[in-house]
Amino acid sequence: MEKFVKIFKISAQKELAYRSNFIMWRIRNILQIFLIFFLWDSVFSEPQKTIFSYDRPKILTYVFSLLFVRAIVLTSQATEISGQVARGDISSLLLKPVGFFKYWLTRDVSKKIINVCFAFFEGLILYLILKPQIYIQTNPIYLLLFMISLIMAFFIFYFLVMANNSIPFWVPEAAWGVNFILISVLVEFLSGAVFPLNVLPVYFQNLLSYTPFPYLVFFPIQIYLGNFSYIYAIKGIIVSGVWLFLICLLVKILWDKGLRTYQAQGS
Amino acid sequence: MDKKSLNITIPDFFQKLDLSRLSVLLKRSTSKFAQKIKYFIFNFSFIVARFRYYFELWMKMTRNSFMVLLAQKRLFFLFLIGKLLRFILFGVFLIFLVKGSGSLAGYSVNESIFFFLTYNLIDVISQFLYREVYRFRPLVVSGDLDLIMTKPYSTLFRVLLGGVDLIDFVTILPLVVLLIYFGSMLDPTFIELVYFLILTLNGLVIATAFHIAVLSLGIITYETDHVIWIYRDLTSLGRLPVDIYKQPLRAIITYLIPVGLMMSFPVRSLLGLMPFWGVAGSLVFGSLLIILSIKFWNFSVLRYRSAGS
Repeated sequence: MEKFVKIFKISAQKELAYRSNFIMWRIRNILQIFLIFFLWDSVFSEPQKTIFSYDRPKILTYVFSLLFVRAIVLTSQATEISGQVARGDISSLLLKPVGFFKYWLTRDVSKKIINVCFAFFEGLILYLILKPQIYIQTNPIYLLLFMISLIMAFFIFYFLVMANNSIPFWVPEAAWGVNFILISVLVEFLSGAVFPLNVLPVYFQNLLSYTPFPYLVFFPIQIYLGNFSYIYAIKGIIVSGVWLFLICLLVKILWDKGLRTYQAQGS
Repeated sequence: MDKKSLNITIPDFFQKLDLSRLSVLLKRSTSKFAQKIKYFIFNFSFIVARFRYYFELWMKMTRNSFMVLLAQKRLFFLFLIGKLLRFILFGVFLIFLVKGSGSLAGYSVNESIFFFLTYNLIDVISQFLYREVYRFRPLVVSGDLDLIMTKPYSTLFRVLLGGVDLIDFVTILPLVVLLIYFGSMLDPTFIELVYFLILTLNGLVIATAFHIAVLSLGIITYETDHVIWIYRDLTSLGRLPVDIYKQPLRAIITYLIPVGLMMSFPVRSLLGLMPFWGVAGSLVFGSLLIILSIKFWNFSVLRYRSAGS
């Protein structure tokens, strides 16, 4: 346990060592929120309007929760691994007396905690500037289900990234490309991190519910907003648990096979 | 023939005029004018020769960039698929959003799509041309910029236009087709179309000025990676009409960070919402920005310290 605490601390120090990088990254997050906030603010310019089953406070809460949910779920250090696999840089870590997956999970947690802290302050500043109507969930059951769904989303994303990171074992030059497609395109749009998925037609929403993406951002926020019944929320958590199990299994198979083909080129 | 017989009265001024003096003056001014013409022709041919030189250079560098990318076909297709997917997904979202809500800041579905397409065109062309800016930092940090500075061509030309992006290039034509398709539905007049084209070019000029400013900042601060991404994020605010933003943010992103001027004004002109003075003012603004950015570049280059070399 002690070594993971040390990894956690070193990772946090490393993250904050490049302060300008970190600050710029956070500024970028805020700018993205700005676009989404004003887009919805414009759509819901009439206070009584209800579209896509949202009213003004709920949609603005969705936008604000994105700041936190993205920091908890979609922030990751493990995206570096694909490049390391391609360059053969993972060899040194594989030889160390520390679990590879636990090591990267610790680094991920470290990065997420720092980002959540900053997201809190940014949220506060944005709240004071934009003064949106916010929906506060007070029902403890919904809050509990929200927390559980967030934890599930956290692990689903981690293992999705890990599955993705194994592709360079076979196609080293695709290290950047696969991360771009998975994280910048598929997860970003299909998880609800850019817009709530209710905007899409029902058949498209049904299609998406057969993928793990909605369980990353859209589903936890819907639970927080109380848009799902308890039963539906619990069903969703079970489905995300099934996805987590399947992706874990996939990661295990891919990494077992990948490490057998790994030749540490260039290391 | 007698002057009187022609019934023409010649003013005293002309009668007193020394014609021989006039002839000398005329000859002198003619020779000066001829000199100016010669100078202009010489310079013009010089400008043409330089343009041709740089164009050939650009073609060579473009060919090299294309060959590098085509050597990694899988990567090329992955990024192309990713970019197309992102474009399609945002477009689909926009269509359903505007359909569901009736309008977006008073704009219809087709108009909103046209805003989105115009943003993409300006963004994609500037990414296609100025991709080298994203690779500038290592040159400054390692001091390898020295090697470029000693070459017999403009350093700014090389670091700005030295590595075009094939992935963006292949998306330009489909974007233009979509713009023509959706643009024709908006039924613009000839003058509105001309305004649109002029302001789109102006948007590209402003994008160029931004990229030059990022390069200049990179020399002074050794930081371009995040600055260029912040520029991208800021311009992405122009993905939708700037009318959705509230004041004072709308004024800031229209004039201070001229995203509105770059992305929204061309579409507004096509929709007949831009008066002539607005078009003229935008052009003046764009010209000022490019001049200032070049001055900033000249200022920064003098401060280059060749660190690491």
